[in-house]
Amino acid sequence: MSKIQRFTAPARFDQLQHIAALAVEAAKQVGFDATQQSRIELAIDEACSNIIEHAYAGEAGQIYIEVETEPNHYLRIVLSDTGRIFAPDQIPIYVPCTPATDVASLKVGGLGLHLMRQTMDDVCFEFNVPGHRGVFNRLTMIKRL
Amino acid sequence: MSSTLQITKETNDKASIATLKVAGRLDANTVSIMEKALTDSLAAGARALVLDMAELTYISSSGLRALLTAKRNTTQKKGDLYICALKRNVRDVFDMVGFSAVFHIHDTLGQAIQAANGLVGSLPPASVVE
Repeated sequence: MSKIQRFTAPARFDQLQHIAALAVEAAKQVGFDATQQSRIELAIDEACSNIIEHAYAGEAGQIYIEVETEPNHYLRIVLSDTGRIFAPDQIPIYVPCTPATDVASLKVGGLGLHLMRQTMDDVCFEFNVPGHRGVFNRLTMIKRL
Repeated sequence: MSSTLQITKETNDKASIATLKVAGRLDANTVSIMEKALTDSLAAGARALVLDMAELTYISSSGLRALLTAKRNTTQKKGDLYICALKRNVRDVFDMVGFSAVFHIHDTLGQAIQAANGLVGSLPPASVVE
């Protein structure tokens, strides 16, 4: 049977380590190994950094975190915020470097989103989702064991 | 809980090489510490930067961007950036974005310093290239 935990954190960069620690603990409960725990930590860090930097853009706000764990099966992380909407399809698609990449002209837009998609099985953005706090943005990330 | 990043500047024989020992977490919360250390080292005359990351436990895209900027700044001075002793999880992040293909990454500090020495030894004086 799955377990759901809910947390709320101020949308500030100094909360990233705390939020990431919650995700790592949940990943352990599911049974992910150390490598996958680190990748899940990275995914939630990148997602929260985006919310802080782009959705709230320096304004005070909250990140609502829901973590669902099903031991030996999956981890589902849902991040909600009431900040600005962004269009994921407007974010540049990051292309990983090769030895032929010219570092001087390398574009790194979309780096965080690339890492989220590399580390999680599903990454889904929703906007204008109705809820008891008004409308909000919702990001759902799933990692299966 | 507060995120922490510690950067220690190591003594080098050559002023044109700066060796920085980086420990802790390099994320959006701490990246400004990293950026300042890198900028200060270049402003002090370094043309090659050696980053000993043996004690770096975590890096996110914010940290990667700072390293990329530093690499660009060193190459503008005809120098370069040398990284060593990455932990497995940090190396994993480099690999996912392809940075392993464009950064000089060495297993040990000795190897990284040797590579930096090789570059700096082949360079004309700073006054000629700057």
